[in-house]
Amino acid sequence: MTSADLIAFEEDIAAEFNAGRIRAPVHLYDGNEEIMIEIFKHVKPGDWVCCTWRSHYQCLLKGVPPEDLKAAIMDGRSISLCFPEHRVFSSAIAGGNLPIAVGLGMAVKRAGGAETVWAFVGDMMAHGGIFHECFQYVTNWGLPVRFICEDNRLSVCTDTRAVWNSNGPPALRLNDLVYEYKSKWPHAGAGQRVQF
Amino acid sequence: MGRYYTELTRAMDMLAADPRTVFIGQAVGYPGTGITNTLANVPKDRLIELPVAEDMQVGISTGMALAGLIPVSIFPRWNFLLLAANQLVNHLDRLPIYSDYRPRVIIRVAVPSVSPLDPQAQHDGDFTDAFQLMCRTVQFFRLHEAGQIVPAYEYALNHEGASVLVERVDLYDS
Repeated sequence: MTSADLIAFEEDIAAEFNAGRIRAPVHLYDGNEEIMIEIFKHVKPGDWVCCTWRSHYQCLLKGVPPEDLKAAIMDGRSISLCFPEHRVFSSAIAGGNLPIAVGLGMAVKRAGGAETVWAFVGDMMAHGGIFHECFQYVTNWGLPVRFICEDNRLSVCTDTRAVWNSNGPPALRLNDLVYEYKSKWPHAGAGQRVQF
Repeated sequence: MGRYYTELTRAMDMLAADPRTVFIGQAVGYPGTGITNTLANVPKDRLIELPVAEDMQVGISTGMALAGLIPVSIFPRWNFLLLAANQLVNHLDRLPIYSDYRPRVIIRVAVPSVSPLDPQAQHDGDFTDAFQLMCRTVQFFRLHEAGQIVPAYEYALNHEGASVLVERVDLYDS
């Protein structure tokens, strides 16, 4: 899966949405293709990936066939994509995926497994209470969970740094990652008003 | 303690006989509530004492269940479980609707007795009816009699999906 493949997938979904053929919200990625491909070079097939409401790239890079992913999106499930056979879980509730990732990490550790749990979080929630609880618990217990903070400086249209009066997301651990990106897409939809 | 409490202990023993179960919450590995002693026969390595972080606790329970464990997630008051409404309603309850995941989590919660001490307004809640209205897949069981306890927990253990079992502290001596 190349950057061009990822971009083409989102463009296709945008066209479907703008044509009124998806009767549910979609959240599209753009501008982070290279870093996502780099991250997923480290993600093994047995690893768990815990996503937010924006997860098309994670699904594709974890191995979900594009046709299966598109079928789920066309069925209205873009914001909460789950593929148990690929160990992909998503939540459309801000921060909702994080404690579930912790539980997965606890289960892996109890079983003596070698899998890693990859937990994605936006820059707004990286400031929030549930993230700090989960981050502390994972760090202090040495759980196999890695946090990826996706920093687009926005939560819907709200300036995350302004409302937290901060300089950006908190520093994470060495094996975690904070990356910045800027998308051409709005928070939801594909930039056109769709009349159903 | 009476038969009701003895049956709770027997139910916990029955659950512990399944190697997939773990028992998590506050006062699980340490003393502290009436619930603690009902776990006396559970192997220590299956007791996971958690920080006070209710929403995280139900999320952790769901995550462990996705990986194949069966968490028995323990809350000594409905007022405390209220803090986990997000994970209970938006995730544990909704996952079977929006995905093929069927997390098997058993939530154990107690309604306190009003004597000999009045638990007061922030500890005396019974929100079972309200949560039943909010949930679509989670099953709720009110344990009014000792004879209901073991069958209800057996059902929860073998049922694909999540359950909330509501016990009454005022019956512990009956």
